Amino acid sequence: MNQFTAVTQQDERGICCIDLAGYLDAHTATELESIINTVITDGCRRIVVNFADLEYISSAGLGVFMVFIESVRADGGDIKLAAMKPKVFTVFDLLGFPVLFEIYPTVEEAKQAFPSLDA
Amino acid sequence: MTSPVSHNGIITVPATTDHLHEIREFLRARIRAAGFSEFEENGIVLAVDEACSNLIRHAYHNDPTQSVEVALVIDPDVVTVSISDTATPFDPNSAQVPDMPTYLQERRNGGLGILIMRRVMDAIDYVPCGPTTNRNMLVLTKRRTA
Repeated sequence: MNQFTAVTQQDERGICCIDLAGYLDAHTATELESIINTVITDGCRRIVVNFADLEYISSAGLGVFMVFIESVRADGGDIKLAAMKPKVFTVFDLLGFPVLFEIYPTVEEAKQAFPSLDA
Repeated sequence: MTSPVSHNGIITVPATTDHLHEIREFLRARIRAAGFSEFEENGIVLAVDEACSNLIRHAYHNDPTQSVEVALVIDPDVVTVSISDTATPFDPNSAQVPDMPTYLQERRNGGLGILIMRRVMDAIDYVPCGPTTNRNMLVLTKRRTA
């Protein structure tokens, strides 16, 4: 059973979008951590995580974003979160994570929130 | 007169994280069938997942030769989930939980499972192994709210 997938694509503005699908728990969180690590190692610091097809998240999943947020912001980038189902947002909200992370209704809005590289 | 349908049950899985989804699916189907709200169902499933994740990772170290047993009892207005194990006893009620504003400000990671259990469930009871049993028992209780 394939419980979790994360697919990365980079757009013409240099924004890396990671599309999540399935169930993000103590088992699958290591897979996401590895994928984000690869994205960052490859030089991307403008990251949008698309939660549209994510059905479940536990604290192990939340922890993955905590691992990287500081270093990405220190480099002038960000990890912006988008398109969460209400049941997934509830878990973020339960622990106050929206204070730390920017969460947008859509992927496009999250991408637009990055400053233009031309500026 | 017909007997009410029972949604109670027990699931036993190897103590590895790749079996967590089986516990969640076992709980979801039964809690939903018993007529609890999706919000209550999601909260109970999350709390039990956190408890089992902690047990598997920190007590059993992902050891497939060990097992986790989850028993579900659904009364009309209460869901009770009992998680039993033979690991070194650890009472989550004795654990210090993080202060979230500080936690987020300092970009900490991990250690949120017990806080989630406390925020979601109405009661957390723990009975360590003793002279009469070699199993520890963590009992999570959630009352129906609607």
